Amino acid sequence: MTDRAAVQVCDLRMSYGATQVLCGVDFEVRYGEVFCLLGPNGAGKTTTLEILEGFRRPTAGTVRVLGLDPAAQPARLRERAGMVLQECGFPRQARVAELIDLWRTYYPNPRSLGDLLAVVGLTEARNTQVKKLSVGQRRRLDFALALAGDPDLVFLDEPTTGFDPEARRRCWAAIENLRRLGKTVLLTTHYLDEAERLADRIAILRSGRIELTGTTQEVAVLAGLATRISFTTPALLRCGQIPLPDGIDLAVRGSESVCHSGNPGMTLRLLLDWALRHSLGDLDGLAVTAPSLEDTYLQLTGTGADPYLNQANGDRP
Amino acid sequence: MTRSVRLAMGQALVEQRSFWRSAEYALFTFVFPLMILLLIGAANVGSYLPGTHIKNTTVFVPGILAFGVIVAAYVNLGSKVAVLRHDGVLKRIKTTPLPPGAYLGGLLASTVATAILLTAGTGLIGWLAFGAVPRPGGLLALAAGLVLGIVCFGSLGLAISSVITSAESAAPVTYASFLPIAIISGVFDPTFGGLPAWLSRVVDLFPVRSLAQVLQGAYTARPFPAWDLANLGLWTAAGAAVAVWRFRWDS
Repeated sequence: MTDRAAVQVCDLRMSYGATQVLCGVDFEVRYGEVFCLLGPNGAGKTTTLEILEGFRRPTAGTVRVLGLDPAAQPARLRERAGMVLQECGFPRQARVAELIDLWRTYYPNPRSLGDLLAVVGLTEARNTQVKKLSVGQRRRLDFALALAGDPDLVFLDEPTTGFDPEARRRCWAAIENLRRLGKTVLLTTHYLDEAERLADRIAILRSGRIELTGTTQEVAVLAGLATRISFTTPALLRCGQIPLPDGIDLAVRGSESVCHSGNPGMTLRLLLDWALRHSLGDLDGLAVTAPSLEDTYLQLTGTGADPYLNQANGDRP
Repeated sequence: MTRSVRLAMGQALVEQRSFWRSAEYALFTFVFPLMILLLIGAANVGSYLPGTHIKNTTVFVPGILAFGVIVAAYVNLGSKVAVLRHDGVLKRIKTTPLPPGAYLGGLLASTVATAILLTAGTGLIGWLAFGAVPRPGGLLALAAGLVLGIVCFGSLGLAISSVITSAESAAPVTYASFLPIAIISGVFDPTFGGLPAWLSRVVDLFPVRSLAQVLQGAYTARPFPAWDLANLGLWTAAGAAVAVWRFRWDS
């Protein structure tokens, strides 16, 4: 395998006893992208991450992280990959800046303290005792420690689970900063809005299998979802004085006309030609709506989707 | 190798700083033994061991030295590691390239430093307050006993840390697991006696009285403590084996 992708996962399988947690997972994370492993609790996200971080040895399959085999070369991997685990404590007596400074001594080429504080937005809290930080600040300190060695790749396992909206927003800002630094980020989440907001590409993991991979748009298309085009029904059309456009499955629902298309460019062209021919001018209220990740997810799972996936701020029970 | 040593030393310094910053640890580790030394020592001034010309305090001070070693190495290290594990700090260390040996080496070096400081304090106060000093030929035995004691109880501390399940129970469990034995070993009472013979033999099997007797031998002439040394060695081996076997980075 070559080092063309930051993370390569090929037919990854993991069983605990008779329970199969991962049943052949494949995906690739490209250098410099924010990649999101999205799925409900128990889908196998954390297990996948722990294998990539070198904490677990897979039952079968191959993984390469920055060209390394994580299980065989954990020390080398940890010099170049930062890891934010789901839950991890700090030494009780530590202060923010001195803890970051201690972490910097663990790495051959550490990032500067001031830089780290700025990236995660903790500059003002630099002398605060760790035990006095808020939940969101603690998470951003997690980020700072994971970044201390100036890694090429950062793993984030459910970075905002259980956070209030303000804390989430600040964490998201810190993750956006990672992208700006050119870091490759692999994050897991069960929040659709988090994936949609942060990820360049998404893999949807359910029951130990990757269902779809791609950008938000790509997964929507893969899931068979179409772009929605709507406009205010012109009066002439409503009273049947002009024909419906050809080649478009247009539904006239009273004051609004709607169609769905897998090829919105083509459909729009047909629609505007038709409007021109019948002197309708620019169609009033024309709206083109790409399918959201939530639409995709609901399409995949049916209506009984995992409730957590639809809540912006749902806490775990 | 040098990098690991440097990292371990850096870690030890950080541990010492955090130790002195934490009132509960510093207070219990230092104030408790020194208070016992002064209070019980004062009650024994002017008394002699029955039928001898040996002052009670000459035996009592090295007993408290042993107590200090146990508090610093066993209680402190054991509860510290249990808390670090429970809090997930050990797990976090595993996400870094810091060699595990350098991290644990730092913890141990910090423990040794604490034990040496506490021992020095105890010895100094024992000398100034009660005139108890090691006999001239006993310094080597004293040094050897302290080293063996720190190693033995440090390994036992690591061993017990793996059976402690919560941060809150860390200090109570470590204290409760040795304080009763320390009491019936006579560490706090030089004239302690009257145990049934069988119980006395059972107490002899534990490392507490062994360490106390090795250190007492440095203050007052005694037969060579062959059994005590062997006993400490056995407990060290057992403690180290359990520590290695049961050590976990996550809770």
